[in-house]
Amino acid sequence: MIANILDGIVLGLQLGLLAAGLTLVYGLGGVLNLAYGQVAVISAMVVAFALDAGVPALPAVGLGLLAGGLLGLLLDLTILRPVYRLRGEARVLLSLLLTLGVSFIVDGFLNWRYPLEALTLRIGGGAVEILGVPMRRGSLVASAITLATFAGLFVFFRYTSLGRAVRSVIEDEEGARLVGIYPNWMLRLILIMSGALAALVAVTRSMVTPVDTTSGLSITVFALIVTVVGGLGNVAGAMLAGIILGIVNVVAADLIGTYISLIILLGAAAVTILIRPAGLLGVKE
Amino acid sequence: MSDRLAFGTGASLIGGAETRAAQSLAAILIPIAAAGAALALVPLWLGGSRVLMGVAVLGLAFACYTIAFNVIFGSTGQLFLCVGALAGIGGYGGAILADTVGLPIVASILVATLAAMLIGGLLSFVAVRRSLGVIFTGIVTLIFSLSFDALVLGLSDLTGGDTGRLIRSGADTFLRERIPPYYLMLALVLVFLLVHGLLQRSHVGWAFRALRDDEVAAELAGVDVARYRVFAALIGGAMLGLAGSTYAFTEGRISPTTYGFGEVDVVVLVMLAFGGVGILFGPVVGAITFTIVDEILIEFGQLRQVAYGMLIILLFLRLRRGVIPTVASLWRRVRRREGSGGVESTDSAGGKPAVVSGETQPAE
Repeated sequence: MIANILDGIVLGLQLGLLAAGLTLVYGLGGVLNLAYGQVAVISAMVVAFALDAGVPALPAVGLGLLAGGLLGLLLDLTILRPVYRLRGEARVLLSLLLTLGVSFIVDGFLNWRYPLEALTLRIGGGAVEILGVPMRRGSLVASAITLATFAGLFVFFRYTSLGRAVRSVIEDEEGARLVGIYPNWMLRLILIMSGALAALVAVTRSMVTPVDTTSGLSITVFALIVTVVGGLGNVAGAMLAGIILGIVNVVAADLIGTYISLIILLGAAAVTILIRPAGLLGVKE
Repeated sequence: MSDRLAFGTGASLIGGAETRAAQSLAAILIPIAAAGAALALVPLWLGGSRVLMGVAVLGLAFACYTIAFNVIFGSTGQLFLCVGALAGIGGYGGAILADTVGLPIVASILVATLAAMLIGGLLSFVAVRRSLGVIFTGIVTLIFSLSFDALVLGLSDLTGGDTGRLIRSGADTFLRERIPPYYLMLALVLVFLLVHGLLQRSHVGWAFRALRDDEVAAELAGVDVARYRVFAALIGGAMLGLAGSTYAFTEGRISPTTYGFGEVDVVVLVMLAFGGVGILFGPVVGAITFTIVDEILIEFGQLRQVAYGMLIILLFLRLRRGVIPTVASLWRRVRRREGSGGVESTDSAGGKPAVVSGETQPAE
């Protein structure tokens, strides 16, 4: 049982990190970025090419994060311009459709040009025992990076004035504007952060399973589900939802078996959405 | 492009254009009959090639799916991202009932259709009860799609898993010949169009338009929004089950990609958006156009997906209301300018999509 819960937490942290970048953009800008997984995949390809070219691992990962951030900026400067002119549900719908188009272009291009490219980061060394359970070193490193990232996000949003400015826009855009915060600048910043987070997702995921050119859709879909379960725009909610769903999935896989566990995971997500449409930690409007 | 009003509220993407409510019966029947007659000639042209007839049958199946999606999404604004899954319930259900259980083909199709209808209705009922918005309905139905996918892959004894399943029933009947399946699917398209047209014309159509334009106002005016939404989902679900099931029997082999999310739902959304959301003939125009475009792009292989992506972006940036309303509005504007010397036309052609929208039918 302890082994299951630990495995579940490892998977859950992955899922939580997956959702973090998506939920921020949704919460702040009302923009649903369906090209999120593709940003992750492109970043993964950048890291893979850098490694192939003989760049050491850490700088290669740095390049990947940079690429993710730049892609976020690129989205903000191009395809999302017309989206920002709309409000409410129309904005969400248009952003969803346009970024769906982007995800097609990226997927099609990558599958055509680099069909066999995949990123796998091997973390050396044997298994490590935690609470008597042997854990793969790659999973542990991935989890540690995820926890550090969440801690960083927490500090950023709570203790820096920039982070507070971002939160003020999430809470009340008009009010934020009145005290001299440009919502659009905050949004651009968040898109860059979201892109970098997507890149980080790709990196940590590649320590556990290979990230290839077809991973984009599943990354986006799971990020979306965890985002909604956790509450839109709520990073802590995303982490909580990720861990709960992760544990549900692993325990179900152990007790019942393979494919039913995915259905149980999806069912749990659906039930949460139906019971609490605002999300686990969301506030009802 | 005079569509700056078209995105005024959230509902307007859903209800791209208005169709006139009190159409005469002939105004529905004649265009459907004309479309049917035109499409009935296709086998004369492509009939020699088995491959091209297969493409045409698939195109008609997509027209069916898109009409069903139009009933659910276009009429009542419920973003059902489980079009493929509901059709798959029809397809896999029919195949299993006919081959494994041993029911006659017609009975299998009917039972599978009923199942798809009830599940569609149930999804809508849940969404309505919990008053989920467009996006949340989309996500819940997307989750349903993924669950269906997992189930199909998991129950590989019944479904054949990733490689798919051959359907033995009907192998020696007209269903597997070259031309008859085309006319069978065409009949479905025409029947679905007729059902949708008659719905639009009846009091149900009034309720659909009212709740699509302004849900709260419709509720206040005494329209039972919940009931009409579930009703639309029941009809759409039945259409999907029937079309998915019939297509499975004509094809003889189904696999997860036959009904996959990326292969069906996304394509249906693009087809409907292209033709015009909420417009009776939008699905047919969209399905024909994209079936042809797909055939042209096939030699580009993987790059086809890139072209699709660009089309989607272009479509939603430039042709938000769909091609039928845009063409209708241009045609109307040209005609007006010729007729009245361009003096009166400036105010009405300037920025009021509502003015031109009554004219959507003749464009087809």
